[in-house]
Amino acid sequence: MTLLIGSLQLGLIYGVMVLGIYISFRILNIPDLTAEGSFTFGLATAAIFTTAGHPFLGILASLVAGALAGCVTGLLQTKLNIHPVLTGILTMSGLYSINTVVLGGTPNLTLIGKETIFTLAQSAFPMLEREAVKLLMAVLVSVVCTVALVAFFRTRLGLCIRATGDNTDMVKASSINVDRMKCIALALSNGLIALCGGLIAQYQSFADINSGVGILVVGLASVIIGEAFFGKRSVTIGFISAIFGSVVYRYIIAMATKADWFPAYMLKLVSAVIVTLALAIPAIKSMMEVQKIRRGGK
Amino acid sequence: MTSMTPMLEIQSACKKFSKGTPNEHTALAQLNLTLAQGDFVTVLGSNGAGKSTMFNAVCGNFLLDSGKILLDGKDITFEPEYRRALSIGRLFQDPMKGTAPSLTIEENLALAYSKQKKRSLAFALTRKDRDYFKTELEKFSMDLENRMKTKVGLLSGGQRQVVTLLMSTLVPPKLLLLDEHTAALDPATAEKVMEITNRIVKENKITTMMITHNMKQALETGNRTIMLDSGAVMFDIDARQREQLSVERLVEMYSEKKKEEFATDRVLLSV
Repeated sequence: MTLLIGSLQLGLIYGVMVLGIYISFRILNIPDLTAEGSFTFGLATAAIFTTAGHPFLGILASLVAGALAGCVTGLLQTKLNIHPVLTGILTMSGLYSINTVVLGGTPNLTLIGKETIFTLAQSAFPMLEREAVKLLMAVLVSVVCTVALVAFFRTRLGLCIRATGDNTDMVKASSINVDRMKCIALALSNGLIALCGGLIAQYQSFADINSGVGILVVGLASVIIGEAFFGKRSVTIGFISAIFGSVVYRYIIAMATKADWFPAYMLKLVSAVIVTLALAIPAIKSMMEVQKIRRGGK
Repeated sequence: MTSMTPMLEIQSACKKFSKGTPNEHTALAQLNLTLAQGDFVTVLGSNGAGKSTMFNAVCGNFLLDSGKILLDGKDITFEPEYRRALSIGRLFQDPMKGTAPSLTIEENLALAYSKQKKRSLAFALTRKDRDYFKTELEKFSMDLENRMKTKVGLLSGGQRQVVTLLMSTLVPPKLLLLDEHTAALDPATAEKVMEITNRIVKENKITTMMITHNMKQALETGNRTIMLDSGAVMFDIDARQREQLSVERLVEMYSEKKKEEFATDRVLLSV
């Protein structure tokens, strides 16, 4: 039972990160590796603010920190014309040093005994159980983020960003600054990813410099799992399926860790295989088609 | 009394590509062209004559090596592409180029329609907009008005081109550039799109340039025809002259002019 609720909490909170990945990967069509750095950036920033006694400010600061990281990647891509994948790697590498600085030169920081948004919510509703409060917070955060994004992508700016990932020529012809759109989208995406980092820091009362490692693959796997259930339809459904995929992903992990024969360190490989398979489906399908035609021809 | 400012002025535009390499290629050579307000000019020329390069220069895909471009009296020579697009509409031969495939028809139209709106955080599609798009689409009688929530990627080439045409004229631009926009369509659809184009241009009095390879179409459409060659204007034929001009005569004129050049080239070589 604890595992069930715990996975649901984690899935919903990590869902915020998956929303960010969905924006860069599906809407902008860029696999953005900045995520690995910006997640930890948000986590570290929130941790520092929390130790200083400002949990809410910490959450807000993590959002801003991530948005800044996204802007850097965006500027490298648009103004300096560096390959999108490489820009992500550059920002991510640079952020490793910055994150260590933010954490005060230590690789990890514990927040146990400090006030977090979760403990504050607990003291506001003392009649509720601890896990229930955490779950409510997780639901609240993911719903607020999803609703805000759905609304945002219906505005003109949101529409412009969607078109930018779709057909750059058309966007230019509609008198839209493509470079600016890419920067805004990357800032938004990494802002969400860092916000998730901040939430996770407070959720676990612990911040580690390596928390972001592999987060992109986790995000991609969640997006793809979500799409397996909901299909690729509108952006609205895309966001909902991203959160859903994140929850399913956590349950898969919970099951895997529960099984004695499955060592936890294999999880990254499993995630990578899931993503690879999902991305390979079109290629495999067409290979099978060709085989079928060939066999039929003989 | 000064006359009306011309809508478009291209003054001695020069552009060389791959400069300093063996592939150096002069795309525009001292090109001069002036379009009066409301002109509908058809543009002829063989491959590599510089037609599309001229359009690209006007739209700002690249900057000129030298020369100037004025739009409605304003110097836009160094203005970035996306800002010029505010007053220039452009259609390509490839129907895929002008629309975003994973956005719906109404979303594509909304993007184009809100081009000049400043508030970017307002909702992109209001009820009023939808109704307006619907009436505009109805005019084409292609049943697009009932498919406004369809993703544009699912439409045929002709339908996409019609949507693009509407997108670039919903807010009438100062200048409309049509780059063989019917060439990739089947004859019936091409004729329909051309008819719609003519109507829209006439109704909104949009200054227009249209590239075509169809000489007959070139002489029958609009009020003026120019022929480009080697990056400059070879002929400039106004409406009055055009009336007496047949396709055969135009071809003759072209080959005569080409022969002349060839002769001078030979002279140069033999010296």
